[in-house]
Amino acid sequence: MSEPAAVIHDLGYRRYEGARLSTTASLVVLGVHSLRGAFGLGRTARAKIVPWSLFGIMVLPAAAIMAFTIQFQERMVPFSQYTVVLQTVAAIFLAAQAPYLVAPDLRYRILPLYLSRPLTVPGYVAAKVAALTAAMFLLFAAPITLLFLGEALADLPGRPQVGEYLGALAGALVFAVVLASIGLALASVTPRRGLGVATVIGFYLFTAGASGVASGLLREIGERTAAEWVSMANPFFLVDAVQVTLFGADPVGSGYPAGPWAALITIAVVAVAWAALVLRYRKVVSS
Amino acid sequence: MARSEPPIFETDGLTKRYPKVTALSGLTVSAPPGVVGLVGANGAGKSTLIKILLGLVRPTSGRASVLGMDTATQGPRIRQVVGYMPEHDCLPPDVSATEFVVHMARMSGLPYAAARERAADTLRHVGLHEERYRAIGEYSTGMRQRVKLAQALVHDPRLVFLDEPTNGLDPRGRDEMLTLIRRIGSEFGISVLVTSHLLGELERICDHVIVIDGGRLLRSSALRDFTQATSVVAVEVEEGAQALAARLAEAGEAVTVDGRVLAVQVSADDPGRTFDAVRDAVCDLDLRLIRLEQRRGRIEDIFTKEVA
Repeated sequence: MSEPAAVIHDLGYRRYEGARLSTTASLVVLGVHSLRGAFGLGRTARAKIVPWSLFGIMVLPAAAIMAFTIQFQERMVPFSQYTVVLQTVAAIFLAAQAPYLVAPDLRYRILPLYLSRPLTVPGYVAAKVAALTAAMFLLFAAPITLLFLGEALADLPGRPQVGEYLGALAGALVFAVVLASIGLALASVTPRRGLGVATVIGFYLFTAGASGVASGLLREIGERTAAEWVSMANPFFLVDAVQVTLFGADPVGSGYPAGPWAALITIAVVAVAWAALVLRYRKVVSS
Repeated sequence: MARSEPPIFETDGLTKRYPKVTALSGLTVSAPPGVVGLVGANGAGKSTLIKILLGLVRPTSGRASVLGMDTATQGPRIRQVVGYMPEHDCLPPDVSATEFVVHMARMSGLPYAAARERAADTLRHVGLHEERYRAIGEYSTGMRQRVKLAQALVHDPRLVFLDEPTNGLDPRGRDEMLTLIRRIGSEFGISVLVTSHLLGELERICDHVIVIDGGRLLRSSALRDFTQATSVVAVEVEEGAQALAARLAEAGEAVTVDGRVLAVQVSADDPGRTFDAVRDAVCDLDLRLIRLEQRRGRIEDIFTKEVA
């Protein structure tokens, strides 16, 4: 080559004639971006500490149980109950990560930039809910999968519990949708992340504490049915009730009201959370 | 220049009432392609108009269209070919300009590779070089404004809305931003709607200016028509401003003295006469001329004139 290799050409402004993907494709990008962010990926090292510590705390007992099951050929926890038993860890993960997904967009006012593109408010909400749902699902599905693998490797009497495993995964998905929806709806109220964290964890502590005390008292005075209803104020027991009534799982506590009520309440809770999110962001845009 | 092309936007009786204020009141206006200035005091309704044009806010009554598309029904299609630089800060502090602009390009539907290439190009065009790899939190106001502009251009829109792009910039940053906006209109071939509360800075770069006040249209015309009536030459001399003023007044020119600077009204029928008079007076009095500059009308003039 006789031409010099390093010549800088100022090409001036070039038009973009290439492909433009659909709005759905943009929403998928936003969702994946948010999902990675929920685990601190693509963020600073410090942002990875909390989600991965909690992920470790969530998975560690399952790993221990897996080892125990293989060693002693004995089942310890039904798959579907694992999430309910470790609900505090799950709630802390939700409280820590839900605000990250929505608060900075409000605080740094990035939302108007998103919405000046073809995205719409319901699309934005859907991408964020889907991202956090996926994050929560991974958090729940990983330990359940370890439990299942433990039992499969232990070669327990009878067939491997594939049906129960799949049921527990379906339950994990319901847990993820419900918690992500509630968590985002609460976190979206404030542009401040710290306040968002406090709001979500406060909501969990309040519902879990109040329903725990109230259902305990009701049980004490013999009002068993009322106690079952009241226990479902804790979102984890509400979804457990769905698992019991829809997927035939063993309840963690003494049981839940029979019938489709838990499922209906769950659908209502999710619908209210989504509507709240859409209304919240519509208001932000028009102000 | 022929202006037979369709308007970049058009409104018809556009009204927007909020519970406490009326932001726009029966606004009917259209803007030709090119660089269009939207001028008005703070609270005149500029930002509300942009939000309606983006299809983000619904008007109380009336209608609006952008590039021939109705804002009420074709919001997403409009937003695909339009870029928006808001007045307020809108950047996350913890990512680099490159990461942010790539992300925004992808939000506009560009595939990953194209988004990266366009982001690099666009950041170069707005004048961000090595610093684009640093976190935005460390940027100066001028650099932040450039990033905001880059995200509005990265998807190669046909039209950009720039809301108060010179806000918070020092005089030099202001000049650079205005030059850049002019280039977007001329070199890049992208129509621009730029708002400001200072007509003075828009007159340098706009082809057409729309003035609104209290949500109503005051005036909409090509810049040529706009400034003809109020054309003024500023003359600055080292000493002897008073003597020069007296000499020019003698020669029949309308002169006002503002410190060391004389503002001489350019004769509407014979502009050459005014310039000749200034030249001759400066020579005759043997003054040292520092500056001779053509000034255009200022927003204050228009407001006072329209009100009167």
